[in-house]
Amino acid sequence: MEALLSLSNDLAGAVEARRPIHRGRARAPAPAVHRDPLARRHRGHRRPHGPDGGRHHRRGRGRPARGPPPSSAAIPARTSRVLRVADLDTAPAALGDDGALRVGHMVLALGYGPRASWGVISALGPRWRTWRGAEIDRLVRLDLVLYPGFSGGPLVDAAGRVVGLNTSGLARESRLALPVTTVARVTDELLRKGHVARAYLGIGMQPVRLPEPLRAALGLPGDGGLIVVMVEPDGPAARAGLLLGDVLVALDGAPTGDLEDVQAQLGAERIGTTVTALVLRAGARTEVRITVGERPRRGAS
Amino acid sequence: MSAVLTAEPTVEPLAAAAAAMAAELARVTVEVRGRGRGAGEAAVGAGVIWHPDGLILTNAHVAHRDVTVVLADGRACGARLVARDPRRDLAALVVDATGLPAAEIGDSGALRVGELVLAVGNPLGLVRALSAGLVHAVGPRAIHADLRLAPGNSGGPLADARGRVVGLNAMIVGGLAVAVPSREAQRFVREQLRG
Repeated sequence: MEALLSLSNDLAGAVEARRPIHRGRARAPAPAVHRDPLARRHRGHRRPHGPDGGRHHRRGRGRPARGPPPSSAAIPARTSRVLRVADLDTAPAALGDDGALRVGHMVLALGYGPRASWGVISALGPRWRTWRGAEIDRLVRLDLVLYPGFSGGPLVDAAGRVVGLNTSGLARESRLALPVTTVARVTDELLRKGHVARAYLGIGMQPVRLPEPLRAALGLPGDGGLIVVMVEPDGPAARAGLLLGDVLVALDGAPTGDLEDVQAQLGAERIGTTVTALVLRAGARTEVRITVGERPRRGAS
Repeated sequence: MSAVLTAEPTVEPLAAAAAAMAAELARVTVEVRGRGRGAGEAAVGAGVIWHPDGLILTNAHVAHRDVTVVLADGRACGARLVARDPRRDLAALVVDATGLPAAEIGDSGALRVGELVLAVGNPLGLVRALSAGLVHAVGPRAIHADLRLAPGNSGGPLADARGRVVGLNAMIVGGLAVAVPSREAQRFVREQLRG
């Protein structure tokens, strides 16, 4: 029985070593992991349905997608926030390596208190994009219960190291963790710039199917496109001359059948560069060169 | 912190230890059945053998009156309800037997969040089924465990990683198991069964 006892002691030790802090003003008190004098908190549960309150649904191959109507080409925010806490005298969390995780590894999810939940890594996947457009370095699916208030708390490996930030706000039915790699990347950017830069075209679009004869006649890639239903005045697309009603069929040669295809083309590294948009306008192919902008911050003018 | 969870060679002893403990816990767990209407009476809960001379503890909501208990060796005995406290959800039953395998009672006050716990009971009619989880939070009146229970677990043991009974499973609240701490159970036994 010694093996079980030592496992039990290890688990309790891991909880005590990684006792998460707590943010009092949150609606559902959510825990947070801290690194240096910084606290990090996931904000998914505060806005579980996106900035526009729109409907979201899951689509084939498990890729979460936003359903119609449109998301704009402005890429929505990631779900982490960094809080700076004055005079925090506890030791910062030891960070682990989420790349070393394997399916079946035992993990703990922690909440304020401390409270704990125990399970295993149920699946790992490659880089993915959330329904809000943020890029997550690795899919970490958990087989454990995230109780109310556990979002934003640490996912801790068997050695007591933080390997992720738990969230129930990114997928409806499964429990996920944001890997520390992503959290560290976003945090560094937030600290450096005060916000996460996002590429921005300044248009709202909606998927449309293109009739076969038209596709054949014009030699269009793919079988669908995105019709422009909103052009932000003075946005990058407006300045480039994109018009309401244009159908975007490709960006830099890559077909754009849905909004994810656009988001995939518009990483933050594209800000300031030029993309060539192939659009269908009045039944003819037109190319528009757009200089990718940076998404204006909400509330900032 | 050891690498006990990550190194493969530790998995086997771990599984063996868990299985041995499950068998040990099953021996001290009884099935509690309603009494009266023939042999088809289903298990309504579980209980813990608290003393070799026939004292069995269970939940008050499992034992409203005299019941039948079935021991791990298959013996069915009539049990007398000798004390009941609905406020603490505890009840004491006595069967006419001696030399029963009694549970080793642990100290619920020493439990730490994150410790492993095991539960044995009769969830959904499965006799002496095991669930494993960990301590989620500890309060004076209740132990919350991240552990799957089902109706039929009521009154059964919640044990720590040494196999010591630290509580009696009583409720499921929001998916969490809630158990009456062993300290409360011991106080109940002292108060109700003096002399």
